[in-house]
Amino acid sequence: METFFGASLQGILLGGTYALIALGVLVVYKSCKVFNMAHGEIMVLVSYFAWWLAVSKGLPVAAAIVVAVLLGGLTGWVLNRFLISPLIGKPMLVTFLLTLLIGIGIQGGTLMAWEGMPQVLPSFVPQGNLDIGGIALSYVSLAAFAVAIAMFVVFVLFFRFTRIGFGMKCVSENPELSRALGIDVGRIYSISWLIGGIAAGIGGILVASVYAVDTSLGWYGMVRALPVLLLGGLESLPGCIIGALIVGVVEVMASTYVDPYVSGFRELLPFILIIAVLMLRPQGLFGLKRIERI
Amino acid sequence: MLPGGVFNQSYAKDVAIVRTKTQWLILFAALAFMFLIPVFANDYWLGWLTKLCITIVAVLGLHILTGLCGQFSIGHAAFVGVGAYTAAILTTKYGVSGWLCLPISALVTGSVGLLFGLPCFRLKGFYLAVSTLAASFIIIWCMRHFATWTGGLEGLDVVTLKIGAADLSYNQPAYWLAAAVLVVATYCAKNIQRTSVGRAFVAIRDNELAAEVNGISVFRYKMLAFFISCLFAGVAGWLWANTQMRVTPDQFRLNDSIWYFGMLVIGGIGSTSGVFFGAVSLRALQVTIDQVAPMIQSVQLVIALNLVVFSGVIVLFLLFVPRGITSLWEKLKLQYRLHPFSY
Repeated sequence: METFFGASLQGILLGGTYALIALGVLVVYKSCKVFNMAHGEIMVLVSYFAWWLAVSKGLPVAAAIVVAVLLGGLTGWVLNRFLISPLIGKPMLVTFLLTLLIGIGIQGGTLMAWEGMPQVLPSFVPQGNLDIGGIALSYVSLAAFAVAIAMFVVFVLFFRFTRIGFGMKCVSENPELSRALGIDVGRIYSISWLIGGIAAGIGGILVASVYAVDTSLGWYGMVRALPVLLLGGLESLPGCIIGALIVGVVEVMASTYVDPYVSGFRELLPFILIIAVLMLRPQGLFGLKRIERI
Repeated sequence: MLPGGVFNQSYAKDVAIVRTKTQWLILFAALAFMFLIPVFANDYWLGWLTKLCITIVAVLGLHILTGLCGQFSIGHAAFVGVGAYTAAILTTKYGVSGWLCLPISALVTGSVGLLFGLPCFRLKGFYLAVSTLAASFIIIWCMRHFATWTGGLEGLDVVTLKIGAADLSYNQPAYWLAAAVLVVATYCAKNIQRTSVGRAFVAIRDNELAAEVNGISVFRYKMLAFFISCLFAGVAGWLWANTQMRVTPDQFRLNDSIWYFGMLVIGGIGSTSGVFFGAVSLRALQVTIDQVAPMIQSVQLVIALNLVVFSGVIVLFLLFVPRGITSLWEKLKLQYRLHPFSY
């Protein structure tokens, strides 16, 4: 029972990390209908950049992180402006493939710049663990969880109460009609990519401080973000959080109860989840079912 | 497109793969050249050509699935891996003859393809791509973790393939084997395009609903496309196992699947010549990087250069030449034919 309780708590925290990754992908998808597979690699880029600024250039950690996160936003904006926007309106697969390739390109760039050795980001959160009834929870993952929840709240408020947020919702419903009604669609796309990039930056910094700054982090993140978003229904913010919690808890449960019998099952789990969700409920838990018309 | 004034006057002529005497001549010259290359090429280039042949066979499979039937698969390299591992396991662990492994590898890979093609019953486009991506990871996970069969990360050595006393596993014989398989595979792919099955695939690609209304069982044909595509992948895997002598999970990563897809994009989706253009140009790019590599000291940098250059080239094609090299080639031919006039 003790292990069960501990595992579920750990799982919820892990889910927070996954929500952090998935939220950035979601914001871009919500307005542009582009599934940004480069998100994970932007995370890696930002975390390496922050590490480089803090360790090699000797910037204060906080300043390094802020600059790096801004670099993430800039990357998102540049990607949209020069690579993605010419393809807006093409089938979703083309943009999917494009972002996948861009991700590989960014990965190559990161490898070139920093050799791809795993590094440790200087900490900005107190080290050590919080002890709740014999269950150790590290402060870093708690911070990641808190940031994820904060980001979720900010996004919900943003989509509900700001003009740009409303504009994003309109554009996601129908770009042509939004343009006819006077919404600057190109600007909305730029802004959502900017936000997506900043979210990737924040996610990258936090995930890198939970684990380590490493090139494998990009795929690790994307592979988890995929089942989270598919489960949540791709467009729903609450769905994303709930999906992340489910995936996190299932993953920790699997690593506690199945891994001793089948080694490495934990790595396989996200893919089984992807296939299962796609086979059983392609629209996810909170997505709208698409009805095909003739 | 045919030049003005040239008509196909019979059905046989309309569906013929080789239409004119000049084309026959070019074909025979090309075949003769292909099989005579080992006389004057050294081992390095022979190895490269063998790999190129294997790649083309694999991409031909992807061409049938994506180019003809319009179903996307971002896990083709993993299917090639299934074929390679089947051949390796059967020859080393069970002593099955290497030649018998050819049909077995193809069929096993085809069945695995069917299994992972099942989601296409409900899924399309992006979702199907994601599920094949997951398939790729699942297959590679199996290769790594079922170590008693697959040898884990170390991989497996493959028993060499023999005809009589001749060893077919490296240099000239390996190239001849791969080239022969390539010729047969190209013929099969071309042939599929002109049968009713091929036309059904194209109908599904162009408009699924219209295809269904016209009496094509969409699900069955999609599964058939997956099966045929994976047969090609299985054959390519068998070739890979027999010519590389060793299979490891790292030879069939997701990146390789993406490069296969990129070859299709670069060559031009939907044409067999596009497969050749794409595969040759990407492999040539790779060999160029290999030549440059000794000048760069760090191994990491070479890997990074590979990633950046490959993805950059494919992205540029996707953005600026979405119909691939084939479209440029067709334009060139047209211009040559109409030379003094532009129409």
